[in-house]
Amino acid sequence: MGTVPLQHLQDEAAWQLPSRGRVGMYALIVAETAVFTIFVVAYLYYLGRDQWGPTPKQVLELPIFNTVCLLSSSLFIWLAERAIEHDNVKRFSLWWGITFLLGAIFLAGTAREWYKLIVHDHLTVRTNLFGTTFYSLVGLHATHVIVGLFLLAVVLALALTGRIGQKHSERIQVLALYWHFVDAVWVVVFTVVYVVGR
Amino acid sequence: MATPTIPIPDHVEGAFDETQPPKFRGTYLEKVHGWVVTVDHKKIGLMYISYALIFLLVAGAEALAIRVQLARPENTAISPLVYNRIFTMHGTTMVFLVGMPILFGFGNYLIPLMIGARDMAFPRLNAFSFWISAFAGILLYYSFIGGLGLSGTGTAPDVGWFAYAPLTEKPFSPGHTVDYWAVSLLANGIGSIGTAINIIATIFSMRCKGMTLFRMPLLPWVYLTMSGLVLVAIGPLTAAQVMLLVDRYLGGHFFDTQMGGSSILWAHFFWIFGHPEVYILVLPAFAFANEIIPVFSRKAIFGYPAMVAATVGIGFISLGVWAHHMFTIGMTSFGNAFFTLSTMLVSIPTGIKTFNWLATLWGGKIRFTTAMLFSVGFLFQWLIAGLTGIMLSVSAWDWQLHNSYFVVAHFHYVLVGGILFMIFAAIYYWFPKMTGRMLNERLGKWHFWLMLVGFHLTFDLMHVPGVLGMPRQIYTYQADRGWTVWNEFISLGGFIQGAAVLVLVYNMVHSYFRGAVAGPDPWDGWTLEWSTASPPPDYNFAVEPVVASRRPLWDLKHPEDPDSAVE
Amino acid sequence: MTTPIASSQDAKASHHERNSVHLPAPTPWPMLLALGFALVFAALVTSQGLAYLGLAIAVYAAIGWFRQVLPEEHVIHIEVETEVVAIQPSNRTVTRIDVDETHRAQLPLKTFTWISGVKGGIAGGIAMVIPAELYGLIRFHSLWYVVNLLGGAGVGDWTNPTMEQLTHFRLSAFITANIIQGVVTLLVGVLYGAMLPLWPKRPVLLGGIVAPVLWTGLLYGALNIVNPYLRGKIDWWSFAASQVLFGVVAGYTVSRLGDLKSLAQVPLAVRLGVESPGLEGGERDRGQRR
Repeated sequence: MGTVPLQHLQDEAAWQLPSRGRVGMYALIVAETAVFTIFVVAYLYYLGRDQWGPTPKQVLELPIFNTVCLLSSSLFIWLAERAIEHDNVKRFSLWWGITFLLGAIFLAGTAREWYKLIVHDHLTVRTNLFGTTFYSLVGLHATHVIVGLFLLAVVLALALTGRIGQKHSERIQVLALYWHFVDAVWVVVFTVVYVVGR
Repeated sequence: MATPTIPIPDHVEGAFDETQPPKFRGTYLEKVHGWVVTVDHKKIGLMYISYALIFLLVAGAEALAIRVQLARPENTAISPLVYNRIFTMHGTTMVFLVGMPILFGFGNYLIPLMIGARDMAFPRLNAFSFWISAFAGILLYYSFIGGLGLSGTGTAPDVGWFAYAPLTEKPFSPGHTVDYWAVSLLANGIGSIGTAINIIATIFSMRCKGMTLFRMPLLPWVYLTMSGLVLVAIGPLTAAQVMLLVDRYLGGHFFDTQMGGSSILWAHFFWIFGHPEVYILVLPAFAFANEIIPVFSRKAIFGYPAMVAATVGIGFISLGVWAHHMFTIGMTSFGNAFFTLSTMLVSIPTGIKTFNWLATLWGGKIRFTTAMLFSVGFLFQWLIAGLTGIMLSVSAWDWQLHNSYFVVAHFHYVLVGGILFMIFAAIYYWFPKMTGRMLNERLGKWHFWLMLVGFHLTFDLMHVPGVLGMPRQIYTYQADRGWTVWNEFISLGGFIQGAAVLVLVYNMVHSYFRGAVAGPDPWDGWTLEWSTASPPPDYNFAVEPVVASRRPLWDLKHPEDPDSAVE
Repeated sequence: MTTPIASSQDAKASHHERNSVHLPAPTPWPMLLALGFALVFAALVTSQGLAYLGLAIAVYAAIGWFRQVLPEEHVIHIEVETEVVAIQPSNRTVTRIDVDETHRAQLPLKTFTWISGVKGGIAGGIAMVIPAELYGLIRFHSLWYVVNLLGGAGVGDWTNPTMEQLTHFRLSAFITANIIQGVVTLLVGVLYGAMLPLWPKRPVLLGGIVAPVLWTGLLYGALNIVNPYLRGKIDWWSFAASQVLFGVVAGYTVSRLGDLKSLAQVPLAVRLGVESPGLEGGERDRGQRR
C-alpha cells in the first residue's frame, strides 16, 4: 500500500504568478472603462439634438492648459515610481508632490470652467441635453480625479512622515496605474467633448 | 501501461489534512461578532449563500402571490398596485439578491479551495463586497415599509425589473419607488464588481504550485469568464442608473422624452447589461455541471480544452446580442439580422458544452445521487430552454411573441430549469464539504421529483397561454380568453415547487444537526477541496498543495495510473 | 484597494515552518465601510441626515481600514497540526482503453494544409474571371458589366440600375465586387482543402464539376427569391462555365499541392477525420489483443 504526496514539482523557483494588486487594478480599470464608455456613448448620441442652446460651440473653450497639466502628471508619477523603486524617498516625494499639484490644478481649472458655464452662460444640468450629458461625463471624470487626488494625498502624507519605503513600490505602482487610467480617460473625454463635439 | 514521466517520492508528508479546526467555544454574541468581522472566504461564501437562500424564499413567496392572482380569471386576490410591486420585486430579487449572491457565494467558497489557496486575493475587499450587497438588499426591501411609513402602503418599485424609461421618470413615477430600485441596485453593483475583481485576481495570482491555468478545474475557468462579464456588464447598468438618478434628482434629461431624451437609449443600456447578466447567472450553473457530472460518471470531463474555449466564447458572444430583447422596439433590418445571427451564434459554444457533458456521461459508471439527478434534469431542461431561445432569436417570430408568457416560460426555463436546478445540485454536492454533514438522500429524492414535476407542470404549460396571446406582467384576464385552464395548472405547479423547496429547507436544517458525518471526501472526488477536512480549517490546507495534473486527488488515489503521467 | 502582498511570502515561510500559518486578521472595517456607504445611499431615498451619519462612519472605517493594512498588514497566526495521513489508494482498478504507441499518431491522417486551400482558392478565383469577363466583353462590350452585377448585389442604395449604369465603372460596386470575389473564393478554396480528401481518386470531378454545378443550381433557385432582378440579368450558362472553371482550377491546384494518392487507400470514415481507434490497421490491433 503506497502513499503518494501531492508534490511532484521540483523546480519551485519557476513558479511565478502575476501580482494580485496589478491584476485587481486592471480588472477595476476594465469595469471603469465600461462605465465611461456608456457615458461617452450617451454624450455622442445626444450631441446636436438640442432644440435650444447653449450649444457646445457657443460656450466651450479648449482647456489646453488643464490638459497639459493632467497629462504631464502621468510623466511625473512615472518618475516617482522609478524613484521609489530605487529607494530614493526624497526624490519620490518631490515627483509625487508635483503630480498631486498638477492634478489639483486640473481640478481647479475644471471648477473655474464650470463656474463660468453656470454663472455666465446659464448652462446647468437642467438646461438642455448638452448640459445633462456634459456635466455627467466631465463630472464623472472629475470624481475620479478627486478620488485619485485623495489617494495621492494619503501616500504623500505617509511619504513626508517617512513611512514609505522601497517595499511599498509595488503598491505605489498599482496606485499609479489608476492615475494613468484617469489621465487616459481624459484624452478620450477631451477628444469627444472639446474636439469632436465642438 | 505508460510509465509516469514525473518521479513520485515514496514518502508522504501531510498530503491529506485531517486536522480539525480548533473548536470555537464562545457566547452567542461572540459567535455573531466572529461572523461580522470575518475576512475568511469560506465564512463570507456561506454568508452569501444563506443570504441568497433567504431571499430565494422571499422571492419565491412573491412568485406564489403572482400565481394566486393569475390562477383565476378576473381575480382580485391582491390589488393591481401591489401586483405591480410584487412582480417587479420578484424579478429584481431573483436576479440581484438570489442569483448573483448565491453564485458568488459558491465561487467564494470553492475557488480558493480548488486552486489550493488559503484565501481570496483581497480578503477585506471580499468582506466589503458582501456587506455592501447585503445592505443593498435590505435597503431594497425596506422600500416596502420605508416610503410612506405605514405598513402596506410602502413604495416598493413597481416599474418591472427592466424599469423602462420614460415610466421611471419623475412625472410618471413620483415619490421614491424608482429611487429605491436604482439606489439599491447601484450599491449592489459595487459589491458585484468588487467580488468579480477579487475572483479574477485570485485565479490569476493565488494558484498553488503546479496549478497552471490549464490544470485548473473547470469551475475556476468558468468563474473567470463570468467575472470578466460582470466587469463589463455591471458597469453599463451602473452608468444607466446614475443617469436615471441624475434625471430624477438633478432634473437632467437623459431619458426625459419631452426634452429630447431617448427611452430607447435606456433600453439599449439596460440590455447591454441585461443579456450578459443571463450568462453571468448561467455560467456558474455550467461550472457546477462541469464538476458534478464527471465525478458521478466516474470519468474525467470530456474535452477539457473545448470546454474552456466554449466558455470563453460564450462570454465574448454574449456581449454582442443584447438587442434581441428589443426587436419590437423597432430597429433597422440590418440590426434585426445582426442580432438574430449573433444570438444564434451563442448556440454553437453552448452546444459544444452540451455534447461534452453527454460524452462525459457516455460509457461512464453513473451514480444517481440527488446532485446527479438535478444535473441530468438540468441537461434536458437547458436543451429545451436553448431551443425556445433559438425560436425567439428569430426577429420575425419574436415580433409575434415578444413580452408574452412564451417569453416568460422561456427565461424561466433558463433560470429555474437550468440555473436553479444546478444550484440545488451544487447544494447537495458541496453541503458535506461546507458543514461536515451529508444531506439526507431520501429527502433529496423527494425534493428532486417534486421539483421536477412542479417545474414541468408550470413552465411547460406556460408556453401555451403565451402562444395564445397572454401578455407578460398582466394583472388579470377575462374568462373567455381560453387561458384559464392553463393558468390553473401553472399555479398548481408553482405550489408543488414551493413544497419542494420547503423539503430542501427542512433537509438542510435537519441534516445540519443530525446528518451523517461526511468525512473529507464523501463523493470520491478529484479536485483539491476534497483533500482537506469537512468543514475545512481556517487555513484550508496545512501544507500548500502542489499539483501535477487536472485531477490531483485522482493521482493520489491511483498511484498506479496517475493523470500526471499522461498530461 | 491597497491590500498588501504579504501572504504569498508568508506561505513560503510556512512551507518550511509548517506549524504556523499567517492569515489576515478579522476586522470590522470592511463591514463598517459598507454600512457607511449604504447609509449614504439610503439617505437619497429617506432623509439627508443619514448621509452625514453614513459619511462619518465611512471616513472612520476607511481610516481604520488603512491602519489595518499600512504600513504592515495585520495577521493572525494559527497553529497547524499536521498529521501524516496515509491515503488509501483506491482498491478499484481503472479500466483504460488498450492502445498501442501509434494510436494517436494515426490521427489526424494526412490531409491538406489549409495553405494549399488558400492557394487553390486564389488560382481558381483568378481563372474564373476569364470566362465571365469574356462574356461581358463579347455581349456588352464592357469590362464592368460583370463587376457591377456582382458588386451591385451588395450595394444597398443601387436599386434597379439601367443597362447604361451597369456597363460603366462604379467605384463602390468595384470595391464590393472585389471583396465578395476575394472572400468567397478564399473560403471555398479552404473548403476544398478540407473536402477533397473525401474523394481522393477524382478530385477534379468532385471539386470541378459536382460542387460548382450544385451551388450554381442552388444560387439559380435562391436568387429568384433574394433578388429576382439580378437573376434576370445573369447569363446562367456563362455563369456556370466560370464556376466550373473555378472548380477545376482550384481542385487541381489543391490536389497538386497536397499528396492525394496515399489517401485513396484509406476508408471513408478516416478520410472524414472521424477520430476512432482501430479504423486503420485494424487487423494489427486485433492481432495484438489476442
